[in-house]
Parts: sequence; C-alpha cells; structure tokens
Amino acid sequence: MEATLSPQSLGKPGIASDLRALWAVVRREWTIFTRYPSWIIALFIWPLIFPMMYILTARALSGIDGSGLQVFLQNTGAQDYIGYIIVGTTVWMWQNIVLWDVGFALRNEQMRGTLESNWLSPTWRFAYLLGHTGPQLVSMSLFILITAIEFGLLFGVRLHGSAGLALLVMLASIPAVYGLGFAFASIVITAKEAHTFVFLVRGLVMIFCGITFPVSLLPGWMQTIANWLPQTYMIHAMRAAAFSNASLTDLWPDLRALLLFGAFWLTLGYVLFRMMERRARQTGSIGQY
Amino acid sequence: MSDFAIEAHQLVKKFPARPGTGDKSANAETTPTPKRKLWPFGKKEPKAMFTAVNGVDLQIQRGEIFGLLGPNGAGKSTTIRMLCTLLEPTSGTARVHGFDVVKQANDVRRSLGTVLAGERSIYWKLSGRENLEYFAALYHIPQPIAKKRVEELIERIELKDRANELVEKYSTGMRQRIAIAKALLARPPILLLDEPTLGLDPQAARNLRELIAQLKQEGHTILLTTHYMEEADQLSDRIGIIDTGKVIALDTPEGLKRRIEQKEVIKLEVTGWHDEIGDKIKSISGIENLMSRRQGEADLWEVNMQAQNSRTAIPRIVEHISGNGTRLVNMNIVKPSLEDVFIHLTGKALRD
Repeated sequence: MEATLSPQSLGKPGIASDLRALWAVVRREWTIFTRYPSWIIALFIWPLIFPMMYILTARALSGIDGSGLQVFLQNTGAQDYIGYIIVGTTVWMWQNIVLWDVGFALRNEQMRGTLESNWLSPTWRFAYLLGHTGPQLVSMSLFILITAIEFGLLFGVRLHGSAGLALLVMLASIPAVYGLGFAFASIVITAKEAHTFVFLVRGLVMIFCGITFPVSLLPGWMQTIANWLPQTYMIHAMRAAAFSNASLTDLWPDLRALLLFGAFWLTLGYVLFRMMERRARQTGSIGQY
Repeated sequence: MSDFAIEAHQLVKKFPARPGTGDKSANAETTPTPKRKLWPFGKKEPKAMFTAVNGVDLQIQRGEIFGLLGPNGAGKSTTIRMLCTLLEPTSGTARVHGFDVVKQANDVRRSLGTVLAGERSIYWKLSGRENLEYFAALYHIPQPIAKKRVEELIERIELKDRANELVEKYSTGMRQRIAIAKALLARPPILLLDEPTLGLDPQAARNLRELIAQLKQEGHTILLTTHYMEEADQLSDRIGIIDTGKVIALDTPEGLKRRIEQKEVIKLEVTGWHDEIGDKIKSISGIENLMSRRQGEADLWEVNMQAQNSRTAIPRIVEHISGNGTRLVNMNIVKPSLEDVFIHLTGKALRD
C-alpha cells in the first residue's frame, strides 16, 4: 500500500470552541425560525386570541351593569381584571410554548434526520438543547412585549407597578420554565411521544395555578398541589410586580421559591439529558424516528 | 499511534428483541442474564436479545478504501454506528485513529468525517453555505480557517453559484454533495461513507466516485458501505463481506473473485417463470445459488445461477424451461463478478 500522510484535523477543542458551537446552534435556530412565515401569526395574533376567551367570558358573567367585575376585583385585590387575566394566560402560554418548542426540539431534529449528524460532532451535546433556548427566549420576550402593547392599545391596560420588578420576576422564572422544557426534551427522545405529558402539565397549570382566579378559591388539597408548581409563584409575583406597588421585599418569598424550583428543574433537566444520552448510545435511539 | 486507521476486535452488539415480532432468526437468542426483577412477586423471564453484530474483527489500514458489504440487516450499519460512537458495543473493542470508541469518544468524533443519512443530515431551511458554516463551528474549526475551508469546499463540490440558495431547492445530488462537504470540513483523517451514492443519477454517482478516489489520493482512509457492487469493486482496496453479524470474507476484490473463478455464471432471461422450474433447475447437479428477479412490470424474469460446468448443465436447464408457457428469451455465460461472489457467500443478493 502506498504510504500517504493522513490529513490533520482542523478542529481545535476547548471551552471557547464549545461556546462558539453553542452560538452557532442559536444562530441556526433563529435563522430557521424566521424562515417560516408563521412566526408573524405566533407573535402578533396568538397573544390576543387566548386571553380574549377569558376576558369575554368575564364580561359575559359580570352582569348587565358590570357589577360582577367589582366583586371579582374585590376577591382578587386586583385593580384591572384584564391585566389580571393577561398575566395568568401569558404565563400559561409561555410554559406551553416552551414545552412544545424546547421539549420537542431534539425530537423534531430526530425526525428531520439532523440530530444524528449533530451528535456525530465533538461538540458538548447539551449545547444542542441549550442553543434552542436562546431564540426561544428572544421570541418569547417579544411575545410578552407585544402582548403588553396590544392590550395597552386595544383595552387600555396600563402598568401600575414596576416594569423593572416585572422583568426581575421573568428572569427568576426562566430556570424553572426552561428546566422543565429540558426534562421534557429528554423524555420525548426516549418515549418518542409526549403529547399526553404536555397536555397534562398545561392542564395542571390551567387548573391549579390560578391563571384567571386567585388560588385561595381552590379547596385546601388543590392549594397544596398549587404550592408545588412554580407557575403559581410566577403568576402571583408577576401580578404583584406589574399591577400593584409591591416592593422587592414583598416579592422575595415568590422569587426565592422560583429560584429553588429553577435549581431543581434545571438539575433534573440536565440529569435526564445525560441519562437519555447514555441510553441512546446503548440503544441507538438517536437515529431512530 | 496505531498502524491501523480503524481496528475492531470481537465487536458484539446485542439489542433487546422487539416484543411480538416472533424473531426466530439465528441471531435471536435468550441470554441468561440480566434477570429483571418483577417487584414484589419474583423475577421476570430473562430478556430476549437480538445479536446484530456477532464478533466482528476489522483492521483497516491508513490510506485505504475499505468496502463493507452485506445484505440488509447483516449488521453493517450497526458496525458503522459503533465505530462512529453513536452506539456502544455490548462487548469487544474498537479503536479509530488510535482512540477507543467508548473511552475516547470525542477524540474519535474529531478524527472522523461521516456521511450517514445523506441528504437528511443537513438543514433544508438553511443554504448550502450556512450549513457548512454551522457544522464548521460544531467541529471546532477556528473561524478564519472555517471561512476559507467552506469556500474551498463549495468550490470543490461545484456549488459556488448556488451556495446561498436554501438546500430545499437543491437536487438530491446537490444535497449529497453538501453532506460530503460537511464530512470533509475538519479535514478528518478518516471518512465513513454510508451509501454515499444512494439515490443519485448515474452522472452524479460517477462524479462522487471520482471525488472518493481523489480523497484517497489525498491520504484519507475511507470506510465505505454501498449497495452497488460495481462501485465497491471499482473503489475498494479491500472488501469485507458481513452477514448475520459476522465478517464472512475479507480480501481484495480480485482475491474474492478468485474464490469462485472455477465457476461459471449462467444468466437467463425468461418469460412465464414460476418457482417450480427454479426447484427443478436447482436439483441439477453442479447448479447452485439460483436467484430470480422480475424485471419491471412485464412478465420478464432475470434468472442467475452458478454452475460447475455450464456445458453439461445447459441442455438440462433448457429442457426444464421449455414448455408450459415458459420461454427462454436470452442466455449468457459470464465470468463471476463480485456480486456472484457475494451471492456465493451469503446466498442472498446485495439488495435483499
């Protein structure tokens, strides 16, 4: 056999290279996201549709003179029933979209056939999941901003609290919301199907977390379950930050709970990802669709 | 550094047998361990396992093109997937570029360029250039080098004019070229090409074969699987034939052909063929490996068989074919090809 020198690989491993790979995943996801025109509907139409269902129901139930709304405001301590509903429905939509987007990120790649080619590279594999989160966070922030603008313009909803504290609540919620998404992504790759789980989680959030009513209205055992769901704290803290004059001290118990939930879900998400990665090497499930 | 680009020693991969398939193949077995606990009542039956790869030994030299051939389900994809770290062997060891596929998986990935799922392995909503830039980052190629390398490869695969178009607008051949360029990005010493010409038109396939030959000249070691026997014959320095999870033959294409060169291959074209005629012909002394294949929609069958002595066999073959609505349309006696070697060894055609 003719002796020929083997080519030398151009790859230079290291943390900087892994970070650049992570950024490449973010850029790839954002580029693909903007190439589907449906993002316009997702960003401009969907924020209006879901809350409208509850707002119109509230109006229908408030009586001819609207007195029912006063009772609602007394029960909830809110100043604006539309703002109250928007916070709950937006948190629900945020978690719902994350479960579909991040939760199915790897599964969608698996079905397209690209997951295997990503998996064959020497990049830190969690970057593929983490990279999906970047564009998702940007689009979700736009979603929340557009919700605020649309309801401000169409229904005269105004912020009565602090935008900075509302943003802080959002930031504190990110680990829990996305940690749950990471855990889902790993389960979906193994189970190949997780629609039922998504329906279950969003159903739990809808019923137990008080998206359109105060949790205190629930029976005791339901309140106990609500206390174990981070979305309960997100909704409570966001309403307090955006529509009352709550201070950071007032918000701290909710923020602390959110950070603890975040630590738990992020850790669980990462552990499940590593378990899935290991199982995939034993079963070859990465290439199966 | 090892003398071999790829080495595998007694590589075994077992999977749990799929329930309800009633798998009775030679590779299905019931392993005594591990026993699964059926808490709290006792223990479950031992898990039935399917052995996809059963003790494969390979030594692929640096700079050679090695063809791995086998019928569907023979274990070649499982072997390739273990070598490129997608699958962990149940037992045995494998080293790629001197790195252990289990303990040094990332070093193995860094040494490999792979084309596994062909056109499905790239993003159709990105352009050809964007795909290459993306994968360059995944393979940790520093940015200035990556930029130059992407341009160089776009030029090489002759896609300069269309590099900025979305891949979804490309033909299958163009997508396959991007997939190959992706594998070459990091200039890896070893390339694993799984069915690289599958679905390509003849011209595109020829161009790709030329590219593979060039890559060998540049020093790349290439492990190639293909369903096209002529392709394996033309490109490979050595060929391993794998069947039921084992390498049953390993030699140069010429060496393999020599194994049955004392035999002749009789090729018939027949109308009105039916299995009973095949059974009668198989019973003729010196006839073996008879395979029949319908050609298109018409009632025309291609029947191939291997014979110790065609002169004595042909009169009896013709006798069995004539009559009962069966008609011999064409007959040739040819020298054995690599495909005939394959049939001789596995009893199956490569496309089975």
